[in-house]
Amino acid sequence: MKKDPKDQLSNYEYQFIGKPVPRHDAWDKVFGRTKYADDFDMPGMLFGKVLRSSYPAAKILSIDTSGAEKMPGVAAVLTAKDVPNNETVTRFGQTHQVGGFEGLYRVLADKKVRFMGEAVALVAAETEEIAEEALARIKVEYEQLPGVFDPLEAMNPDAYQVGEGDSNIICNYQVRKGDVKEGFSRSHVVVENTYRVPFVEHAFLEPESGIAWIDDSEIITIRVSTQVIEHFRDVADVLGIPHNKVRVIAPMVGGGFGSKEDITVETFLALLTWKTGKPVKMTWTREGSIISSSKRHPYVMKYKTGATRDGKLMAMEAQLISDAGAHVYLSPWVLLYSTVDATGPYDIPNVKVDSYTVLTNNTFTSANRGFGAPQVCFAYESQMDELARRLSLSPLEIRKRNYLRKGDALATGRVLEYGVETEKTAIKALEALGEPSMPSSPTEKIGQGLASGMMSYGRMTFLHDTSRSYVGIELDGSVTVRCGVQDIGGGQASSLASIAAEILGVPMEEIKVFIGDTALTPIAGTTTATRMLYMSGNATLKAATEVKKSLLPKAAEMLEASPEDLVFRDKKVFVRGAPARAIPLADVVKACAADGVQLYNVAQFNAPFRELIDFKTGQGQVFPDFTFGSHAVEVAVDTETGKVRVLKLVACYDVGQAINPLSAEGQIEGGALYGLGYALTEEVILDKGITLTPSFSEYLVPTSVDAPHVKTIMLESRDGAGPFGAKGIGEPSCNSIAPAVANAVANAIGARILDLPLTPEKILRSLQKL
Amino acid sequence: MIEAEYVAPSNLGELFKSIEGRAERVKFVAGCTNVLPDLRAQNPAPMLLVDLTGIEELRRIEENNGVISIGSLATMTELAASEIIRTHGPILASAARALGNPLTRNRATIGGNIADASPAADTAPPLLALEATIHTEGASHAKREIPVEEFFIGPNQTVLNQGELITRITFPIPKDPSASSHIKFGLRNAMAISVVSVAVVLEMQGNLCHRARIALGSVAPKPIRAYLTEKELEGRKITEEVLESCAEVVKKEISPITDIRASAQYREHVTGVLLKRALWQAAREGENSTNGNI
Ligand SMILES: Cc1cc2nc3c(=O)[nH]c(=O)nc-3n(C[C@H](O)[C@H](O)[C@H](O)COP(=O)(O)OP(=O)(O)OC[C@H]3O[C@@H](n4cnc5c(N)ncnc54)[C@H](O)[C@@H]3O)c2cc1C
Repeated sequence: MKKDPKDQLSNYEYQFIGKPVPRHDAWDKVFGRTKYADDFDMPGMLFGKVLRSSYPAAKILSIDTSGAEKMPGVAAVLTAKDVPNNETVTRFGQTHQVGGFEGLYRVLADKKVRFMGEAVALVAAETEEIAEEALARIKVEYEQLPGVFDPLEAMNPDAYQVGEGDSNIICNYQVRKGDVKEGFSRSHVVVENTYRVPFVEHAFLEPESGIAWIDDSEIITIRVSTQVIEHFRDVADVLGIPHNKVRVIAPMVGGGFGSKEDITVETFLALLTWKTGKPVKMTWTREGSIISSSKRHPYVMKYKTGATRDGKLMAMEAQLISDAGAHVYLSPWVLLYSTVDATGPYDIPNVKVDSYTVLTNNTFTSANRGFGAPQVCFAYESQMDELARRLSLSPLEIRKRNYLRKGDALATGRVLEYGVETEKTAIKALEALGEPSMPSSPTEKIGQGLASGMMSYGRMTFLHDTSRSYVGIELDGSVTVRCGVQDIGGGQASSLASIAAEILGVPMEEIKVFIGDTALTPIAGTTTATRMLYMSGNATLKAATEVKKSLLPKAAEMLEASPEDLVFRDKKVFVRGAPARAIPLADVVKACAADGVQLYNVAQFNAPFRELIDFKTGQGQVFPDFTFGSHAVEVAVDTETGKVRVLKLVACYDVGQAINPLSAEGQIEGGALYGLGYALTEEVILDKGITLTPSFSEYLVPTSVDAPHVKTIMLESRDGAGPFGAKGIGEPSCNSIAPAVANAVANAIGARILDLPLTPEKILRSLQKL
Repeated sequence: MIEAEYVAPSNLGELFKSIEGRAERVKFVAGCTNVLPDLRAQNPAPMLLVDLTGIEELRRIEENNGVISIGSLATMTELAASEIIRTHGPILASAARALGNPLTRNRATIGGNIADASPAADTAPPLLALEATIHTEGASHAKREIPVEEFFIGPNQTVLNQGELITRITFPIPKDPSASSHIKFGLRNAMAISVVSVAVVLEMQGNLCHRARIALGSVAPKPIRAYLTEKELEGRKITEEVLESCAEVVKKEISPITDIRASAQYREHVTGVLLKRALWQAAREGENSTNGNI
C-alpha cells in the first residue's frame, strides 16, 4: 500500500488516522483467544435444533410431536401453535403496483411451506444427539404442491402462488429520464444482451450460532453472531413481551456478508429458553446454513445500450428481474439498489429501468455483500466493453467519455455532492496492470479486462438512519468508547478506537471499545449497508470532540494559553509549537473532575433525512453518497479445457480517507476474492427448490492457491461523507471484479459469456468446442 | 446418532484378535477424512471402529529388488515427500500432492483412498498405470494379492470382504519412471474433486512407444485402465496424429456422467485433451507436471 503524493489533496498531519496500525484485536484472533458465538457455554444448557421442511412447496396437513416429546432428555418441542406471535406482516408504501410491497413472515411454518429450508419445528434437548433424534421422530404430514422455481414463470398471472397473496411479484420500480426511443434513434451502435447471475452463498467461516438464557432479572439474553443486535425488538414482539425484556449481545462475528442481517437463530433460541427456562445453544451445520439461510439474488437482466460514433452513451434501457426466493425479506431494498445503480457510474441522457422482484419456491434471497450492486455492475460493464469493441475504442476510452463527475446527476436526478474519482481509479488500475504477459503454451490465450463500479454507502435516506456513540475519559486519561456496533471482522470496533485516539491524543492501547450489547451500549444500528464507519464513526468523532471541548477550558487555564492553541497528543496537552510546555492529560481530567466538568458525551449522528422517492420515475435521493472504483484483471484462458487462471488483479478504489489503511486494504483484498468466486466458480445450484451444492465440496469458493496477488491502490480524495472525509469500502470493494474478469476473458477468447460463473464448460461452449 | 465401539490395536496380531468373530461390524479408520464425513451424513448401524493409526508396520515405504512397497497407512504428505516414490513412481507423488489441501494430506492415507473407491480417488489412476498390487489380510490371517485393475467394482465398491485389511500396496519399478505423467483437472487449484484425471506410464524406444499404461479417473463408475487406447498407441511413434487418434479411441472406453461439476460431454472432451498432454509430456521424458494440478 503506497500513497501517491499527488493524491494528497492537502497535507493533513494525523497521528492515527491513515496510519497502518495493527488492529487492537488482531493478536487475540491470531492466537485463537477471541470468543466467537459458539465458543460460549453455560452450565446446564440445552441444545436447540430446527426441523426443516421436506419439500419446497407443500401444505402441512398435520404435525405429530408426541414421539419426540416422549424421548428422555427432550425438554421442548415447539411448532407454530406454540409461538405467541408467529406471524408478522410488513407493509411498505401505498400500492402493490409500483414501489409498495407487503411481506408475511412466520417464525415457524404454518399451513404451507415455501422452501426446503423452512423451519417447521424446534427441539431443545440435553445433547445434540438427542435433539437430532427427536427431530427424526416428529411426524409431519405434507401434501406436496407443484411450486414454481423460475422467476419469469412465476410472474405469470396464472402461475403457482408461492405465498398467500394474489401475485408472486413482490414489487416493481421504474426509473425514467429523457426519452430512450429518441436516444436509441440517435445512437450509432446499440448493444442488446440478456445477462444472468446465479444464487450465491455468503460462505462465512462461522455458521449461524448463538446461546440464550434468562438472567437473574428475568431478561431474555441472547449472545448471537449477528450484524443487527436491534433484532431484540423483533424477538420481543414474537414473544409478546416488552422490548426492554430482551437483550442481545453480539460477540465478534466470524463473518456476516449480509446473511446475518436477517434474524437467524435468535428467535428460535428465545422461544426455547422462554419455554424451558434453561440456557439453550444452537449452531447450524454448514449444510443447514447453506440450505436455509439467505442467498444473493440471481437476476435476469435485459440491457440495451446505445452510443454515438464517438462513444458517447445516448440511451440505456434495462429490465431487471430478481428471484426473491420464498419470502420477501430484503428483496425490495436489494432491488432498489440495483435499480438506482443500473446505469453504473455513467452519465446517460436517456434512461428507462423497470425492475421486479419475484417470489419462487427457491431458498430465500436477501442481503449479500454488494446488496444488488454487483449484479447490475456485471451487466452494465459487459455492455460497455461490447460497445467499445463495436466502436473500436479502448475500454478505458469509452468509459472516460462517459464517467459521471462530481456535481453531475444520476439518472434519478441525485446530484453527486462528494468526490467522484472513477476515471482516476480506472487509469491507475490499468497502469498497474501493465503489459500483457506472454502465453505459457500455444493453446493459452491472454486477456485483460477493466471494469468500474459504483455503490452506495449508508442506508437509504428515507429510512432516516441514525447512530450513537459514547466516549468517556477516565481519571488516568484512558478512554472508554461504548457503541452498539457489531464487529463482523472488518475492523468496525478498531476504527472507532482510531477516531477517539486521534481526537483525544491517547494511544490506541489505552482506548477500550465496548460494542454490541443492547443493554449497555448506545444503539448504533446495523453493521450493514457499508454504514458503520460512516454512521458510528461520525457519532464517535462527534462525541470525542465534545469530550475534548469540555476539557479545553481547564487545560487552557492550567497552561495559561488560549484553548485554540492547545494540542492533545501522547496523553499530554501542550501549546502548539511548544511541546515542552506540556501537562499530562490525566492531570487535566482530574482537575476537570474536581470542577464537576462532564467527562463523557453520548453523541448521535443523523444521516441526511429525505422523503420517499417517486417510484414511478425513480426521481429523488435514495443514498447519502457512493463509493467509486475500478478493477483491472489479466487472465490466461486454456482454450482446450476452458480453465481460467487469473494472473494479475488490481483493485483501485477511492476510499475517501483510510482510517486504518491495513483494514481498508483488507476489505479491498477480501472484496476482490469475494468477487473472484462470483466470476469463476461460485454458484448455489438448485433443482426444483433442492440445493445440489449444500457443502464446500460442491460450492466452490476460491482457495488460497486460487487467489492471485491482489494489488491494492487506495485513492484518498478526502471527499466522503464519513469521518475525516472517509467513504465506505466494505461492500463496494467487491463490486466490479466479476465484470473485469468477464471482460478479460472476452478479450482473451473473442467471445462474450453472458452468464456467471464463467465455468470452463461455458467457455468451451462459447468457443464452440463442445 | 452414531453408536460405536472403538479399539486401537498397536500391531496386526492385536488387530485380528480384537475383531475375531465380529468382522461383520468392523469399520477400519485410518486418516478418518472419509470416515467422519460419511458417518455424519449417514445414520449408520452400530459398529466396531478399528483405529489403524497405531500400527507402525503399516506405515513403511521401501524398495526391495525392484519392487516398491507402500504401507497402507502412508499419508499423502509422506508419499509426496518420499524420495523413493518421487524417483520410482513420480506420478503417484504428483497425485498425492494434488489431493485436497495440506491438512487433508497430512491425514489422508493411500489405503483409505483406495478402500473408499471413489471414481475420483486421486491415487487410483497412478496405481493403475503402475500396475500395482493390493496386499490384504483378512480374518484368520487369510492373505490375498489383488491386482489393482481387479480391486474396484463400482462407486465406493471394492472386492474387499468385511474385516479385510489392506496392509500394503506394491508396484514394480517401471523401466523408465520419468517417461510417465499425471494430470489432475479440477475446478479449482486445491480442495477439488477431480473432474478428470489421467496417469500414463510409457516405455519408449526413441520416439516409438513400445508399451503404454494409461489410467483415468472420474470418467467411469470406477477408476479405469484405457486398454484400447494403450493398444492404439503401442508400436507407434508419438506424433500429433497418433495422439489425435488416441484421444478419439479413449472416448469409446469411458462412460462419464453429468453431475454438478461438469457434463458428460465436457468430461469426454477434456479426457481427450488431457490424455494428449499427458502422453506428450511422458513421451518427451518430460518431467512430470510440476504440481499435478492444472
Ligand atoms: C477436505 C477433503 C478434501 C479431499 N480431497 C480429496 C481429493 O482431492 N482427492 C481424493 O481422492 N480424495 C479426497 N478426499 C477424500 C479422502 O481424503 C481420501 O479418500 C483419503 O485418502 C482417505 O484416507 P483416510 O486415511 O482418511 O481414510 P479413512 O477415512 O480413515 O477411511 C476411508 C475408507 O477406507 C477404509 N479403510 C481405511 N484404511 C483401510 C485399510 N488399511 N484397509 C481397508 N480399509 C481401509 C475405511 O474403513 C473407510 O471405509 C478429501 C477429503 C476431505 C475431507
